[in-house]
Amino acid sequence: MKRKTKRYILSGFIAMIVIAAVIGFMMWNEPHRDIKNATAVKTTAILLYNNLTKDSARMKSKLVNQVVEVSGEVKSVLKNQKGDQIILLKTNTSGGSVNCTMEEKISNVKPGDTISIKGLCSGYIGGDPDIDLPGDVFLIRCYPST
Amino acid sequence: MMHKMILLLMLLAFQNINADGQVYYTKNGNVSFFSKTVLENIDAENNQVISVLNTETGALQFSLLNNAFHFPKAKMESDFNEDYMESDKYPRSSFKGTITNLSDVNFNKDGSYPVKVNGDLTVHGVTKNISAPGTIVIKDGNVSATSSFKVLVSDYKIKIPSIVSNKIGESIEVKVACDYQKK
Repeated sequence: MKRKTKRYILSGFIAMIVIAAVIGFMMWNEPHRDIKNATAVKTTAILLYNNLTKDSARMKSKLVNQVVEVSGEVKSVLKNQKGDQIILLKTNTSGGSVNCTMEEKISNVKPGDTISIKGLCSGYIGGDPDIDLPGDVFLIRCYPST
Repeated sequence: MMHKMILLLMLLAFQNINADGQVYYTKNGNVSFFSKTVLENIDAENNQVISVLNTETGALQFSLLNNAFHFPKAKMESDFNEDYMESDKYPRSSFKGTITNLSDVNFNKDGSYPVKVNGDLTVHGVTKNISAPGTIVIKDGNVSATSSFKVLVSDYKIKIPSIVSNKIGESIEVKVACDYQKK
């Protein structure tokens, strides 16, 4: 009987360790946020840029680190060093864009097109006021939105 | 006489344009860092770096949003933003400095030029003067720059709980790569 109790305690202990290890492993390997299927805050490139350059804490908490769906006019289509597609959406500030790094490429997109892009909003960084270079609002991990 | 004046004004205007042409920038530069640890190597990348390079004065600056670093694992990313960088409180990291051996670089001739950069690196609300070696590459009139240097986590008051300290190295290797375009 005593031996049986010991065995119970031991197996319970082992089970706990295994469960903890599994939970730890799952937490460590938790997948990235599913941007493509996330519910998004809908806005336009012009509004998003204006809201985030105003430096309002309320707007920041509403938009930064959120999945947003932005519609706007394509200013240019570029590539970064890694070969990812970069789509710049026009704003009312010349030289300032909504800068989208695509996780899924949009084919046949060209300047002048009106499109809608879904991505994770990282926020706004100012450019250099000394040389009159406005900053951009950045969206990362972007997908075409249909 | 009037014609000559106009011509002179036009020439002056042109000179101004030329001076402006000495500024190069990118808004999609790359900064990555790497930390070798016992458990797993940590490797993160940011492709949304704004950088401005003035080839006349050697002034060089970088600015990035910490939350735009992408990690292989979601948990690393949230730990980085919430616990280590406190990205809500300190959203940006930046560098402002100069190329100290600018005369060694011929921006009009293709080539790979080793440079030395000195300036202030601001991370996690702490500003420190650093020096780093780099390379400027001129190819077909295009300017690109790379650099690699080490940063001590403790220099920037980044606290790493001891329970995971063996997961994150004390010294982080930072790499910078920017392809510039003329402003």
